[in-house]
Amino acid sequence: MTRWNSAPPPGLSEARLSRRAFLKGTLAGGLVLAGSGFLSWLEALAKVQAEYAMVIDATKCVGCRACELACQQRNHLAQGKSYIRILPKGTPEKRWFLPVQCQHCQKPPCAEVCPTRATYTHETGVVLVNPKTCVGCKYCALACPYNARIFDEKTGLMEKCWLCLDYVLGGGEPACVHACVLGARLFGRRDDPASPVGELIASGKAKPLHPEFGTRPGILYYILPEEA
Amino acid sequence: MSQPHWGWLVAIYLFLGGMGAGCFLVAAAVEWTGERYKHAFCPTTLVGATVPGPLIALGTVLLIFDLGAGKMEPWRIFYMFTHFRSAMTWGIWILTLFIPLCFLYGLVELMHVYPGILAWARRWLAFLPEDLPYRRIKRILCPVGSVFAVGTAVYTGVLLSVVRAIPFWNTPVLPFLFLVSALSTGMGLNIDLSGTIAVGPMERRFRNLPLYHMVFIGGEALLIGLLLLLAFLRGGAAAQSAQMIVTGPTGLVFWVVVVLFGLLIPFLFHAYAYGARQHSLAGGILSGAGIVIAGLFLRYLIVASGIPVAL
Repeated sequence: MTRWNSAPPPGLSEARLSRRAFLKGTLAGGLVLAGSGFLSWLEALAKVQAEYAMVIDATKCVGCRACELACQQRNHLAQGKSYIRILPKGTPEKRWFLPVQCQHCQKPPCAEVCPTRATYTHETGVVLVNPKTCVGCKYCALACPYNARIFDEKTGLMEKCWLCLDYVLGGGEPACVHACVLGARLFGRRDDPASPVGELIASGKAKPLHPEFGTRPGILYYILPEEA
Repeated sequence: MSQPHWGWLVAIYLFLGGMGAGCFLVAAAVEWTGERYKHAFCPTTLVGATVPGPLIALGTVLLIFDLGAGKMEPWRIFYMFTHFRSAMTWGIWILTLFIPLCFLYGLVELMHVYPGILAWARRWLAFLPEDLPYRRIKRILCPVGSVFAVGTAVYTGVLLSVVRAIPFWNTPVLPFLFLVSALSTGMGLNIDLSGTIAVGPMERRFRNLPLYHMVFIGGEALLIGLLLLLAFLRGGAAAQSAQMIVTGPTGLVFWVVVVLFGLLIPFLFHAYAYGARQHSLAGGILSGAGIVIAGLFLRYLIVASGIPVAL
């Protein structure tokens, strides 16, 4: 399984190369290199508009809460607050863990009930809350069947996992994925069959949590059939 | 674990909105049928016209206090008019149109009962006519307002019933229950309570009135039963919510405040008032106050016992 911890994320290295290629091209005045620069720019644009997917491998999760802590620190959340909850499942003899956060649904019930349209779907498929228009009515928190939203009493705004979109658009990965020691969190493009995420999706092992909610989540889970 | 997001403020708002709408509907019915004009003084229309505006406006203010960023930066509230797929946006529009209608109806009724108001206003606003066709104005105001009143009462139920993540709320029973409860609390306030206090037993005036009220109280009891029964049959989180209402820590509140003082005693009281054609002052006050307080607690119990689906 490929992890991006050792090498720089593919998006980042491509960006550096293309900038160098672009500078070389303009210095030499060669049309070919300039053309390749334009192509890599197009490629970067396509990457931004691609749909991202996260697959959580519950067979690997040991409930160490590293992702929870990473999320808390990365988003400057108060002690005890995190966009991720680790639910203990199974029996005390045969315990397994289910990390739950915003599922970035394709049919988000939170966005449907939001009276101000503050909850919206970004062009990458990530569900976001606009802090400029949110009134803090908490209707979305009631509507979310995954209980993935937390209310900030200080700012009066609703908050939730935003898939670290700044990292992702820069070519990186969300903080929770980076922090997962056991590699239980996989992140990549949904439409890339070569990536571990694409593999799990193509093989049909990765399934949405509670498809009966009808929300079509963007985050998928690999849970052993006897546990699910 | 029941939902931690909505509590007393939302419950009080749902109650005030429902009771205000119910008051309006009862007053509009008494006005439309001409019953109001059979007596020298009709407290039902006076209370039913003047009280809904302040009640619903107060409920809306409480709702704003329940907001986060919208309370600190109130101009954000204007965004709430923009998303027409959200039940809350429907409610904001209904309230925005209904509250001015309520205040207008209250003003017209007050001016009709106390002609001195118009004479006083003419001292500053000389262009005002000496008399206004109050009855014709109300002939238009009452039906139009009634549409919005039904909308307000139903909407308080729809707001909860569209939330699929909380199965106990997610049932079409809830809007009907809140509408019937709105009518019952409206009658409790402006017939049982204010009517009895102002002019004594109302049942001498409208012979079939206790019968109508018994229909609403009985209907409310049936709908509460149906809500709980369907929740138990559905199982899971819905059954947990129903269990919480019936036998939870607040179970005593449900059985004593809602069932005994809000349904059983008022029902028996109205049955007696219909049979005996009379009732005492204390009976009217006990019945009216019981219905009104039960309406508030019923909404609180439903809001507070909303348990989300298990993951």
